[in-house]
Amino acid sequence: MRALLRLALASAWNRRLSLGLTLVAVLMATTLLLSVDRVRQAARDGFAQSVSATDLVVGARTSPVQLVLYAIFHLGEATNTVSWQSYQTIAANPAIAWSVPLALGDSHRGYAVLGTTTDYFAHYRYADKRPLRFAEGQAFAQLFDAVIGAEVAERLGYKLGQPIALSHGDGGLPGLDHDDKPFTVVGILAPTGTPVDRTVHVGLPALQAIHLDWVGGAPIPGLTITPEQVSKFDLAPKTITAFLVGLHQRATVFRVQRDINAFRDEPLLAVLPGVTLDQLWQTVGVVERALQAVSWLVLAVGLAGLVAVMLAGLNERRREMAILRSVGAGPRHILFLLALESFAVSLLGALLGLALVTLLAATAADHLAPFGLAVLPLAPSTAEMQLLVAVLVCGLLVSLLPAWRAYRLSLADGLIPRL
Amino acid sequence: MTPAAIRIDDLAFRWRRSGPLCVRLQHLTLAAGCSLFLHGPSGAGKTTLLNLIGGVLLPERGSVELLGQPLGKLSAAGRDAFRADHLGFVFQQFNLIPYLSVRDNVLLPCRFSRRRAERAGDPAAEAARLLAALDLEPALAAVPAAELSVGQQQRVAAARALIGRPEIIIADEPTSALDASRQEAFIDLLLAEARAAGSAVVFVSHDQRLAGHFELTLELAEAEAAA
Repeated sequence: MRALLRLALASAWNRRLSLGLTLVAVLMATTLLLSVDRVRQAARDGFAQSVSATDLVVGARTSPVQLVLYAIFHLGEATNTVSWQSYQTIAANPAIAWSVPLALGDSHRGYAVLGTTTDYFAHYRYADKRPLRFAEGQAFAQLFDAVIGAEVAERLGYKLGQPIALSHGDGGLPGLDHDDKPFTVVGILAPTGTPVDRTVHVGLPALQAIHLDWVGGAPIPGLTITPEQVSKFDLAPKTITAFLVGLHQRATVFRVQRDINAFRDEPLLAVLPGVTLDQLWQTVGVVERALQAVSWLVLAVGLAGLVAVMLAGLNERRREMAILRSVGAGPRHILFLLALESFAVSLLGALLGLALVTLLAATAADHLAPFGLAVLPLAPSTAEMQLLVAVLVCGLLVSLLPAWRAYRLSLADGLIPRL
Repeated sequence: MTPAAIRIDDLAFRWRRSGPLCVRLQHLTLAAGCSLFLHGPSGAGKTTLLNLIGGVLLPERGSVELLGQPLGKLSAAGRDAFRADHLGFVFQQFNLIPYLSVRDNVLLPCRFSRRRAERAGDPAAEAARLLAALDLEPALAAVPAAELSVGQQQRVAAARALIGRPEIIIADEPTSALDASRQEAFIDLLLAEARAAGSAVVFVSHDQRLAGHFELTLELAEAEAAA
């Protein structure tokens, strides 16, 4: 047996170029398969952690997915609002540690405008409970101050001090701009890979102020209130769109959720964001499966290449096999030799692929956050181990093909190959 | 009394059940240590006969007995092991594994058969001795077999067949790729070493002129014609 192993090694070394190329193909296929799985996992985690450390998201009663879509992703519109009164009442619940009000509806050049308080910058967490960080400037302090997300700053080329005008609604109708009351960029957030990057943040009173001379979604003709005059008005918000809740103790989440859902003054809905984000992710599961299917196809191509190389090499190795038979090797030794060789190539390819993925994950960690990916895990997951085992089983199965052909050939050829 | 090296009785073989007979041999006995010249033109079934003696094929009828052991009574794996232990082969050409060194080619039987390794004593030293006896320079031992001339390759193949003193050596047209003067020298070297090792030799060739070197001669074509 040792003699066979030494022979297999020497023989493989003799054909190192074609085997090496095959090895690279299997290696690449394994790398693709594993990294697709890992990126998929990271994307899913990143998505599920668009908001973290927030125990409940609360809004007017609607479907949980819709609430999360507009409260966290600023997609679509709320069907109803939450009165400031109700918000104040619920926020006073002793189980609640903090709460952040969110008011949506306006936009700036396609980016959502979020009215909130400075607590937002203190309490909002994403990914692995990471806080928001200011790349430049600080939170809003004056009435018409704005803090913009990283993508807004980069796409629109905004620096600190940039004056910006908000548009009413999604900005789709011309003439519905709040250009009489411009805002000033006072802070730019560091990239997070979450919807925060695509958001303009302003104070709640500012949203109240720009709508003073509006009614029913349009400016009141003939009435203009200048920015200087707004401080004379009561700028306390009357309604908000939703609010985030953090609890003292995570264990009380279901009780608080029940309390809010049973709130008497108006119909509200409280959802656990993680659960709903998972539900949302299910809807994009098709893409996931397509990605996986493609990487399996690549693996199939790699293994098919391996089989092709082994089969093509067989004819030249018939003499070699006949010589081995003459010194006492049986057809089963030939079978073993061939199967061992192609299996070794797939084993080596799979292991090197795993090593490459680990290396990539280690080096790419810093560059992935802006894409909304959670940190890639360094150690292979159980799912990846299953993938690796699947790769090896496939490798073993395809290695039987050239081995069986060699077995048949060596039976037919005997000691003298008829070439 | 030592059993005959090779004893063949009423042998018949064909590749397909309904096809023509490829080999038909009424009787052949080769005593231990003797040399036989097996003459047959191409197409006379020499290759098939060698596969039958090597235990790679089983006859349709009749028996092949080597050293008193009927091959038909052994399993396929048993015949492989028997071949490794007791037979040495030299073929017409392409005898060597090109990517192995000359020394490793010679040592190949010792790797597959413990008996051959034991009978060789110190296999490496025995390989060196055989190579020297067959007129190959010691420096060639480490060279990959593919770099040798055809004549050198045939002598390396002979050394491989001889190592570990197998009882039977089968040479299939080993000199057909050599020129006339070298043919004689090769046969002399092979027979001398086989005699020293006590091995019986079956030498297959279509070249009748070489028959004089051997103790016995058998016409394979006649055997077939008799069928």
